[in-house]
Amino acid sequence: MAAISETSGHAGPRFSWPSRKRIGIGLTAFILPVALLVLWWVASDRGWLAEQILPSPVFVYETARDMIASGEILYHTAVSLRRVVIGFAIGAALGLSLGVAMGLSERVEDYVKPLFLAFAQIPTLGWIPLLMLLVGIDETLKIIVIAKGALVPMALNTFTGIRNVSPRYLEVGHALRFSRWQRLRLIVLPGAVPSIFTGIRYGLTHSWTSLVGVELLASSEGLGYLLVWGRQMFWLDTVIVAMIAIGLVGFIMDKSLNNTETLIQRWKKGEA
Amino acid sequence: MSKGPHIQIRNVTRQFQVNGGSLTALDDVSLDVAEGEFVTIVGASGCGKSTLLRLGAGLDTTYKGAINHAGEPVDGPSLDRGMVFQEPRLFPWLTIERNIALGLENSGLPKGEKKALVEQHLELVGLTGFAKAYPHQLSGGMAQRAGIARGLVNRPNVLFLDEPFGALDAITKTRLQDELQEIWAKERITMVLVTHDVDEAVYLGDRVVIMSPRPGRIREIVPVGLPRPRVRTSAALVQVRNRVLDSLNNTTQPVPQQAARNIGESSPALRPVIAAVG
Repeated sequence: MAAISETSGHAGPRFSWPSRKRIGIGLTAFILPVALLVLWWVASDRGWLAEQILPSPVFVYETARDMIASGEILYHTAVSLRRVVIGFAIGAALGLSLGVAMGLSERVEDYVKPLFLAFAQIPTLGWIPLLMLLVGIDETLKIIVIAKGALVPMALNTFTGIRNVSPRYLEVGHALRFSRWQRLRLIVLPGAVPSIFTGIRYGLTHSWTSLVGVELLASSEGLGYLLVWGRQMFWLDTVIVAMIAIGLVGFIMDKSLNNTETLIQRWKKGEA
Repeated sequence: MSKGPHIQIRNVTRQFQVNGGSLTALDDVSLDVAEGEFVTIVGASGCGKSTLLRLGAGLDTTYKGAINHAGEPVDGPSLDRGMVFQEPRLFPWLTIERNIALGLENSGLPKGEKKALVEQHLELVGLTGFAKAYPHQLSGGMAQRAGIARGLVNRPNVLFLDEPFGALDAITKTRLQDELQEIWAKERITMVLVTHDVDEAVYLGDRVVIMSPRPGRIREIVPVGLPRPRVRTSAALVQVRNRVLDSLNNTTQPVPQQAARNIGESSPALRPVIAAVG
């Protein structure tokens, strides 16, 4: 809200919000979560929902503490993370290669892209029934589902990044008699890096969410499994702890990728 | 100096296919440029001056006629021909030093020699302190200096410049024109510069090539014939400038015969004077 009045208003004293600026972005991010927490606390305290459905924040906090102390939450998080790391690595590598191939060769694009786009339309979870029959419900299934989640955004963003490299830069390469390999190494790939990074971020988010999905359906460990198990036992405190863990891990992954991106692309600061 | 022209353009016609029809960008153009000469090409937009430059540089090879550089036919870009674009087109992900070094990517020189050449050209264009800077940290004038250094670093014997100062403010532009002239005097290479700025064309050129649009043709070639360094405000230079402007006005304003006569008869003072070109 403050931002809107700041940009649309005059620069006059009436529209400046010095106190808000001093709070800084770091703190404003906490306003909404804290408000939700308060709402949750009031709701359970006043008994707006049955305790079995909405346990009190204090109770959830105690459960979280116990689960951290016993190493349970850490164990399940580690299991889930391991699956995501492997699945994402495979999916991202395949997506990158596919994106590069489609981006560089119009022939590959003509042959592969329509099928690929159709393939991308099927939600990741929609593949699970078929995959279950093909590969069973073990690790392979999870890895494939996670890899697929990363592959699509990775391939699409890489493709777009390569195609959007400015023809002006390519002409410079032409004038300097760059070979195909030089063109790729010195112009096309570096030019596509911002877009590829977007692909990595989306890919990782997709991987993480589809992981939880596949763990809900077929797993005996991992954060998704913890959710299902908690629901079956009607331990809603456990369910909420697992949800918080999922959100937190996803947030940290996205944030650290974002930081890596800024670090690697220092040249982008001013946007050329 | 070798015998024969350094750059020889003979009866060159270039047509573009536009929406099924064909558009003649250059119509039977011939131009000789001597070794070490500074030729400027001026004309309204659409006169094909940039097309001609790109053909000379070998960036465009679909034409009728003949183009030779030092007796060899031009059939593609060459490291003997440098190119400077209007926007400097520096790669934003590389430092200035690395951007300039791109010009040596295919030179086959050993690493140490490349490094020395890059340093030497950074100095030539006055960017020594900015080797490690990224393009977005430079002003427009500094970026274009880097663009010129990239075009020169491989020691080409001819440099083509496509409106290199077109996007710069007046003060920066004046300074870069002087710097370019100094570089030309120092390196003794042939330069062909396209511009829509008559002052620039006259100030820099040994000869000014005036082109007329639709279809692109050379209308007139005006030798400047003044010693350097030239004074921008000198009467002799202004005289040449006016002559070029006159010629340009005739090319850019194809007034129908009838109308022209009517205006001329009724009131000579009303005759349109189009000084701004481009």
